[in-house]
Amino acid sequence: VPISPRQAFPLPSLPRKQPTVLVVCGPAQNGAIGLVCARHLRIFDYEPTIFYPKRSPDPLGSPPSARRGACAVFVSPPQVQLINDAYNAVVDAVLGAEAEAGEGREPCAAILTTLKHVRIPIVSLDVPSGWDVEAGSSSGISPDVLVSLSAPKQCARRFLGRQHFVAGRFLPYDVQKKFELNPPEYPGTECVVALRAPR
Amino acid sequence: QEEAQAIDQELFTEYKFSVDQLMELAGLSCATAIAKAYPPSSFTTSQPAVLVVCGPGNNGGDGLVCARHLKMFGYEPTVYYPKRPNKPLFEGLTTQCQKMDIPFLPEFPAEAALIDELYGLVVDAIFGFSFKGAVREPFGSILSTLERVTVPIASIDIPSGWDVEKGKADGLQPNMLISLTAPKKAAKHFAGRYHFLGGRFVPPALQEKYALNLPAYPETDCVLQLT
Repeated sequence: VPISPRQAFPLPSLPRKQPTVLVVCGPAQNGAIGLVCARHLRIFDYEPTIFYPKRSPDPLGSPPSARRGACAVFVSPPQVQLINDAYNAVVDAVLGAEAEAGEGREPCAAILTTLKHVRIPIVSLDVPSGWDVEAGSSSGISPDVLVSLSAPKQCARRFLGRQHFVAGRFLPYDVQKKFELNPPEYPGTECVVALRAPR
Repeated sequence: QEEAQAIDQELFTEYKFSVDQLMELAGLSCATAIAKAYPPSSFTTSQPAVLVVCGPGNNGGDGLVCARHLKMFGYEPTVYYPKRPNKPLFEGLTTQCQKMDIPFLPEFPAEAALIDELYGLVVDAIFGFSFKGAVREPFGSILSTLERVTVPIASIDIPSGWDVEKGKADGLQPNMLISLTAPKKAAKHFAGRYHFLGGRFVPPALQEKYALNLPAYPETDCVLQLT
């Protein structure tokens, strides 16, 4: 369960008066992680709004709507201009490492097209949505920040944004060794570690 | 005590949190607080060895989560878990610890002196805020031994054996208390060195409803040092 890496955008640095963040959640696990992230953002005093069009039928996905508490939830897909005007940043929790390459089915395709055109920073969870997990994507979204979960995926090599974090400090050592993950050292009790910037 | 139970109830029924979720966040904050107060480098034992004593309920579950995170933070925890509930949650937490090479003692160390020699810290995860009435064995003897231990003791939420509101003057006197969600009334009687707040998961609306008036956590930290 990741705690969001808001080190990338500390509260005082946000350009808008209200610390608004749009969290776009896809239908599967990446989306569920987005919901957890939104909840913690609220506790950290941000003002998240969720767009969660394709709610998962399984129990993990459905109860979270009640957990949102003060989080607003979008019903219809937000437009590019609205996003640019109303929010400081977008959390991309649409598709993760388990997704198939390409844009996916509606409404993921539509929202991903929208995200390609927004001008505010995008934070992608684990894999920039729509990218191939290994090859990346030349025409897909360009996030500003990438938070790799447990370990960076192959496509992270193509990440050109400002900051790359690794989060998800819960892998037991024998699993790390078995898969030769070599994750970076987390400082102290931190659950997020910043990797050297790609440029 | 009733208020704490009411908040918990709302978190589960209205907010639909699962016990697993909150227990994970609670256990993580305990480990984090311990790491701030007693970093591995501060131990005089050759390894940063910690004994985690887990009781029969949720406080014990918090202890199991805490032990796992302590291991991730570089400590060498050992668990004593004499009464294990027959539920998947606790069985899962136990398995996670075992698979991370966290040993489970078959017997509680007979003497306080033995604990002092082997461990640099004891985590008291025996009883929590639902505790009422008499202490049943083996926990009575365990608490008597812990009362004679000289290494620091960190209690999760409530020093075990204390009345949740009134405390216990002749009971366990831990050096550290990690209050979960909000300090309980008994915390007024806490006289140890470190008091941390953990369990940073109460939605703002719920904090207001119960007028918790919690001080602000620093940034994205999951613990707050109160003293």
